[in-house]
Amino acid sequence: MLTFIRKRSVASLVSLVGLIVLVFFLSRLTGDPTDLYLPIDATDEMRAQFRDIYGLDDPLIVQFGRYVGDLVQLDFGESIRKARPAIDVVLEAFVWTLQLALITMALVTVAAVVVGSLAAFRVGGFFDRVSGIVSLVAASAPDFWIAIVAIVVFAVGLGWLPTSGTGTVWHWILPIAVLFIRPFGLIVQVVRGSMISTLSSAYVKTARAKGVRTRSIIFVHALRNAMLPVITVIGDQAASLLNGAVVIETIFGFPGVGKLMIDSILQRDFTVVLASIIVTALAIFVMNLLIDLAYAALDPRIRN
Amino acid sequence: MFGKVMTWGALMLATSLTPVWAQDDKAVTIVLNEEVDVMEPCMATRSNIGRVILGNVNETLTELDVRGDQGLMPRLAESWEQMEDGSWRFNLRQGVTFSDGSTFDAQDVKHSFDRVFDPTITCESARYFGGMTVTATVVDDRTIDFVVDPVQPILPLLVSLITIVPAETPVEFVREPVGTGPYAVTEWSPGQQIVLTRRDDYWGEAPEVSQATYVVRTDPAVRAAMVEAGEADIAPTISQDDATNPATDFPYLNSETVYFRLDASQAPVSDLRVRQALNMAIDREAFIGTLVPQDALLATAIYPPTTQGWNADVPVPAYDPEGARALLEEARADGVAVDTPITIMARTANFPNVTEVMEAIQQMLQEAGFTVELQMVEVAEHEVYYSKPYPTDRGAYIIAAMHDNRMGDPSFSAYFKYHSEGRQSGIADPKVDDLITRASAATGEERNQLWSELQAYVHDELSADVLLFHMVGFARVAERIDWTPTIATNSQLQLSEIGFKQ
Repeated sequence: MLTFIRKRSVASLVSLVGLIVLVFFLSRLTGDPTDLYLPIDATDEMRAQFRDIYGLDDPLIVQFGRYVGDLVQLDFGESIRKARPAIDVVLEAFVWTLQLALITMALVTVAAVVVGSLAAFRVGGFFDRVSGIVSLVAASAPDFWIAIVAIVVFAVGLGWLPTSGTGTVWHWILPIAVLFIRPFGLIVQVVRGSMISTLSSAYVKTARAKGVRTRSIIFVHALRNAMLPVITVIGDQAASLLNGAVVIETIFGFPGVGKLMIDSILQRDFTVVLASIIVTALAIFVMNLLIDLAYAALDPRIRN
Repeated sequence: MFGKVMTWGALMLATSLTPVWAQDDKAVTIVLNEEVDVMEPCMATRSNIGRVILGNVNETLTELDVRGDQGLMPRLAESWEQMEDGSWRFNLRQGVTFSDGSTFDAQDVKHSFDRVFDPTITCESARYFGGMTVTATVVDDRTIDFVVDPVQPILPLLVSLITIVPAETPVEFVREPVGTGPYAVTEWSPGQQIVLTRRDDYWGEAPEVSQATYVVRTDPAVRAAMVEAGEADIAPTISQDDATNPATDFPYLNSETVYFRLDASQAPVSDLRVRQALNMAIDREAFIGTLVPQDALLATAIYPPTTQGWNADVPVPAYDPEGARALLEEARADGVAVDTPITIMARTANFPNVTEVMEAIQQMLQEAGFTVELQMVEVAEHEVYYSKPYPTDRGAYIIAAMHDNRMGDPSFSAYFKYHSEGRQSGIADPKVDDLITRASAATGEERNQLWSELQAYVHDELSADVLLFHMVGFARVAERIDWTPTIATNSQLQLSEIGFKQ
């Protein structure tokens, strides 16, 4: 197992280095931050002074060398916009994103596994049809629209919940609910499909013949096998949440890493872009590792 | 044990369930559209920062009256005068303290100015002093002299842009601004909220608002919804589509002017008749109340009508497509290449409905006989066309842009937009250069007269650009609040101007 983790770590480190090089040079292709930071009628002296302070006059390769030199000492550089260390800005935002992603994915997983399994048990039945329609609508609904409608209905109309922001438990309900919908729809479909094929396998039939209770057949015997493809999809959805739920963060004023990344790209705050990418890449690497371990836990063939 | 856990759990839940929006009567919540990335006093001329700290936390020596008609008013300076050698002397207010308890004096003013011009930090306020050297000399605790090279007749106006910080402030960006204003920053959780609390030891009249909480929502519909739901009291900018309730939603001239910059060194726009035809071919009235808000004004200058030296006699070019066609024919007969395709370069999301406005203008120009294409570009590419040196290899183009002059004086626009050396100027005319130089150096009525003359000359004689609209913004204000937006709302929002109806 340790060898496995070591191998994965080395592979991930190589892709991380590739990512840093790519993002460093690609982001610089978008232009000079001076034009966006300073007002359009700024004087030429101000522009020259700004470039000088942030070393933007140096050749790209020199800037890259300086960046890497600092990075190995865990110095991620200073955010031009926020005049603070980029890593502080990113970690602050990442904590919000991580909480949002973890809570949402935990709820989604439980709900989708239960609904998907029950739908698969009686294919074509009433529950299956209803859940099929609901999950299809959920998987394809535009979240920015749902978010605005949810605010208009639950915050402005009914006054049950705050429109947006952070601060209390109530503030989390709308963003999580809206974020829940799409992965829920998708995962229900995957659980259902995977469960149908598992339920028709020989060992389930044997269990039925032996008179094992339905609930045990679904949630103990079949679910374990049916979960393998589901875990892949959960991992995929969780990775996209870790990258930040830009739309949800923007609408609900949630200070997460997705919105930070978009803002930093638009403002050419390169150090923050790079720090966000490094932090989220590391998080996704850890998550992938956990998923691999979950595979191994569920399937003894992989373990060996 | 179980009971204990339950009790603690219930207590924690109860605490976390107390709504944050429950606050005292005189506390207000303001929902802004842009993140406040730094709270640095020398960046207060940037609107997202200025709206929070300018006049609330940090004060300036003078301030422009945007509600009344008083022009420049004293704030931290009680009076000022120009000396015989052209330098300026400011007499400072006494009995003023900073929020950290220290006393305000001339040393603080000197340090604040030195800090803004220090080459090791990039302070935005410095941009208004381009080409000038400012030397501040402390005469005594309450008197300070400014020698400006070249001599600046509008220095008292310019100093309204420099916020005063204590002499101990380091020459680097600060995160906890200290000022002499009626409020002090008591909380800043980046991305979440900023809280300003009223000071008891403020030198001036105590404002009504006891505490202000600023939150940021980038989506305009959410900002409007927050005021409607009672979570916020003021949303300084909401979208026109959301401004549907006359009791709470107010339009205001937002100091932005939309126009086409023409490069008069480039054919066919170099011909006066072609420039006049461009102006005559656009039916400006047709946009008002349709694609452009009802309260927007047709522009006759690049700055709004509240600016000094405004010339009310400059007419809006009459819509005359036939006349435009005739002028083009005349130019063609003289050998001007009027059929050269002209590209309209416009910036995406520059203002609401920008694409539709540009498409309509494209069609109007085509109907008058122009060959016009439209290209919508991002801000960075727009800048390539907007500022000098202009690209010469991209064919003939006219560029749609929006210019903001909230300062009340044409000097903040005229040099950049019309002087032959101006960074976004499309003309090189000796008379214009001369008028700008003279007006910038003049004072009082003479100054107004010269600016007025420049406005008429540039538009009536030169048709230097195609002016379109003075734009409006919309604010939503809760019904309990007594406050209306002004032309300055784009750049500052003084809490002391807010009252309560009950």
